[in-house]
Amino acid sequence: MRLLVVEDDLLIARSLDNALTPLGNIVEAFTHCAEAGAALHQGGFDLVLLDLGLPDGDGLTLLEAMRERGDTTPVLILTARDGVEDRVRGLDLGADDYLAKPFSIAELEARVRALLRRSQQRSDNQLRLGPLCFDLASGRVTLDETPLELPRRELLLLEGLLSQTGDIAPREMLESRLFGFGEVGSNALEVYVSRLRKRLQGSGLRIRTFRGLGYRLEEERA
Amino acid sequence: MRPWSLVACIGLLMVSVSEVVDAEPLVVEAALDRRVVAPLLEAFEQSHPDIELVFHDRSTLEVDTLVERGDPAPDVVISSAMPWQMARVNQDYARPLHSREARAWPDWAKWRDEVFGFTFEPIVMAYRLDLPRHMMPPSTHADLHTLLTTRQDMLRGKVTTYSPARSGVGYTLFQQDARYTPRFWDLVAAMGNVDAHLEENTRAMLQGITEGRYWLGYNLLGSYAMVWAQHHPEVIVQVPQDYSLVMMRMAFIHRDAPHPRQAGEFVDFLLSRDGQRVLAGQTPLFSVRPDVSGPYTAQRLRDQVGDQLYPIPINASLLAFVDPQRRDAFMARWRREFQRSR
Amino acid sequence: MIEVDGSLKRRLAIWLLVTVSGLGTLLMIEAYLGAQRAAQRAYDSQLEAAALTIAESVQWQEGEPVLEIPAAALQILATRHQERVFYAVLDADGRRISANLVLDIAEDDQRHVAREPFWRDVTWRGEDWRLYGREYDSAGWETQDPVQIWVGHTMAGRRALAGELFERAVTRFLAMVLLAGLLMLLAMRVALTPMRRLRQLLRRRDADDMGPLDARVPEELRELAETLDTLFSRQRDSRDALLRFTADASHQLKTPLAGLQSTSELALAQDDPETWRSALVDVNEGAARTSRLASQLLSLARLRHVGGDGDMARLDLAAMLREVTLEWAGRDAAREHDLGLAELPAAPVAILGASWALRELLGNLIDNALSYTPAGSEITLGIEIDTRVATLYIEDDGPGVPADLLERLHHPFERGGRQDTQGSGLGLAVVDSIAKRHGAAWQVSNREPRGLRVTLRLTLSSPEER
Repeated sequence: MRLLVVEDDLLIARSLDNALTPLGNIVEAFTHCAEAGAALHQGGFDLVLLDLGLPDGDGLTLLEAMRERGDTTPVLILTARDGVEDRVRGLDLGADDYLAKPFSIAELEARVRALLRRSQQRSDNQLRLGPLCFDLASGRVTLDETPLELPRRELLLLEGLLSQTGDIAPREMLESRLFGFGEVGSNALEVYVSRLRKRLQGSGLRIRTFRGLGYRLEEERA
Repeated sequence: MRPWSLVACIGLLMVSVSEVVDAEPLVVEAALDRRVVAPLLEAFEQSHPDIELVFHDRSTLEVDTLVERGDPAPDVVISSAMPWQMARVNQDYARPLHSREARAWPDWAKWRDEVFGFTFEPIVMAYRLDLPRHMMPPSTHADLHTLLTTRQDMLRGKVTTYSPARSGVGYTLFQQDARYTPRFWDLVAAMGNVDAHLEENTRAMLQGITEGRYWLGYNLLGSYAMVWAQHHPEVIVQVPQDYSLVMMRMAFIHRDAPHPRQAGEFVDFLLSRDGQRVLAGQTPLFSVRPDVSGPYTAQRLRDQVGDQLYPIPINASLLAFVDPQRRDAFMARWRREFQRSR
Repeated sequence: MIEVDGSLKRRLAIWLLVTVSGLGTLLMIEAYLGAQRAAQRAYDSQLEAAALTIAESVQWQEGEPVLEIPAAALQILATRHQERVFYAVLDADGRRISANLVLDIAEDDQRHVAREPFWRDVTWRGEDWRLYGREYDSAGWETQDPVQIWVGHTMAGRRALAGELFERAVTRFLAMVLLAGLLMLLAMRVALTPMRRLRQLLRRRDADDMGPLDARVPEELRELAETLDTLFSRQRDSRDALLRFTADASHQLKTPLAGLQSTSELALAQDDPETWRSALVDVNEGAARTSRLASQLLSLARLRHVGGDGDMARLDLAAMLREVTLEWAGRDAAREHDLGLAELPAAPVAILGASWALRELLGNLIDNALSYTPAGSEITLGIEIDTRVATLYIEDDGPGVPADLLERLHHPFERGGRQDTQGSGLGLAVVDSIAKRHGAAWQVSNREPRGLRVTLRLTLSSPEER
């Protein structure tokens, strides 16, 4: 993957490079809006990591220009400004995610991976996590290349979890997917989650429960 | 031939030869002896060769009639009958003159910038050399009165003065005399007592004195008398020492003047330094202007006879003299006084 | 921003000008009419005097009135402006005994004069004349018929006098205006002196001089001066608070930075990679703590700085709680904890609040819970609804806080007696500020058998409010 980093702090730029290059990415870093704008015109980037406070302008104008051009390259905003207004404005202008400085490298890697995966999925019409693959066109699931036959509600549940690609899937969202808007018992969803958990046992994937919030499909850590 | 063209023909004959053929005519009707004023007219013609001056010398009453009739109106009117001139101006027969000379003219010698008194002629007594042989000649009005009452036998028939009935100037002078002192009527009575002859003009009085018919004349125009005396040594001119009236010829431009521009130039000339210098040097009419020198100036006259010069004022009071009732009353009184002792 | 909106001087000058020109027009009209009247009166009395003089000289002889027109009367009529004059004396039958002009007198006017003296303006031969007619009784031997005397003159003198009077009035008025203008200018200068003095006083002040004003001002400026004083005193307080806060903050930041420095220095003096590694772990944790401290300081500063409730709006507390909790649960920091939501009310929980501040508050509470409880602790957030109050709570099953420290927890830089965690001690101070902003009571209590519970009581907003 080709990543464009627009960041004027050299220490941060270097750590981003050090963190993201080993994951198999090519990282190109710029410190000024103008240079970055010129590079973006060339195209071919899979993700842009954009700092807002730059020496020659505001990163948001760069973002705005990109979106006006119809450039849909995913953008992750990195900034020390953590006011809600800035966040909202950034997202309104078409940023895909937002990370406030200071951030941990682990957090950054997770966000980058999720964004790349999401854009990947958009392009090949498949949801993937580890050994699991969900073909959106056919509705077929494979685990380690082995087809996995699932009942309809488990299939819907898996699709819901995968669609969040590593984030928590809110239970309200899952419930409406599985049961429509009708009344359901409080633990009806839990039943299907248990079933799916059993099927995924030993695959290196697990479903974590967040009380009152939802579930997350994640890879088990070594 | 209509009467006015006849007048014009006579006028043309009277005018000195005019060098300029296509000159503009300018008609001046004047109660002013042509012989006396000739130098002034010549000077004007010389300085204004483009204007053909037509100067008519008439009596005051004729002049006044011409003004009123206005058929055609004269351009400039000059007369010594001051009250009548004044009355015509008050009746709006005059056209105002707005020139530098007119504005600069002294206020006491003009009215409304319409009529201007441009001469300064003292009123005098004159006597024949015979008189001082028999008695002390009079130098004041009181002297005259004393003389008339004490030596009436010797002076009977030898005294002359103006006729107030037939001469406008004479009437004006007597009115003015009467305004100054009520003793004037005693003088009239005294003159009546010596059977004074009443003449129409100064010339007739002077003629009579020269011929020996009269020994003493009262209220003569000094301007004429002084010139006469120069040629007739038997005539002595006396400016009264108590008071001496001063008469002014009054000139105005007629409202309906056919040639108002030329008329304006003529009056301007009368008032100008040049015109007044001619008056002072070559006529006995006396210049009013203080900045002109010559034998005949108001200033020189004052120096000679002192402060007892009383010019007849050019103001509205003159209008009273032409009031018919007042005139009638005056004439009635005159007659009464003149015949008092008979 | 200072926008210059005209000048006081110009405004006063314009008002003066408007007043002066308005009043001036009226005054000028009045002056004009007054001058006309005065001139008319002055010259009318000349006509009366002339008529009287003429009347004096009327006598009767043999039943006929006889008049020797007095020269003085004519001179009175002519005045020094040399007017044309007119007089006429009429007997009882209207016959002219004496007259100098053919100017006709209307029969109506003659009848009128029989009753009372009469003024009349006429035009004769293109000129304006003013006539005065009056009847005089006479006492003769044969007859006692009255005579009418008419006099008149042109009006140059009246015009000249009226013009002169008017001109004089205008000159006086202009001089007055000029003087008034000058005095006004002077008065303005004098009146504005206190303002100038105040300005100079303010200009001379040092930038950081927040002491009370020492100025003598007139009543009109008292409010301004007092407001300035209040402003200065508020700025003084705020600056003092800021200075105190900055001092505290820098002290607080120095501590972890000192730790980072000493740890890294010690590690650099060693050759053992194991030591390096352990030092780097310490450095990493120290850096994270410093970061959190900095952002909390920023929040506090911001809370104190942003005044008013312009950003207050109606919002759904339940939705916000869900959103914030979801965000935190997904974070790396919560990986080792069981962070969850209790069952939330089904209906929206409407309160009036500043969204960003409440998110900050929740974040701090969750962050605190994550920091001060051991891994694996259960942290639960929820809302309890009363009739008018929503109680937001967060509870954990950690060690809790000693009872004697509970009271001091909301002071800045207080860490409940713990020095072992990454906390800065600022979190609850932030929470306290935000709660106060929302008029909400908050409480920290220990749970039985173990754990801590923090509650925040927010007033529910009824739909009518905003």
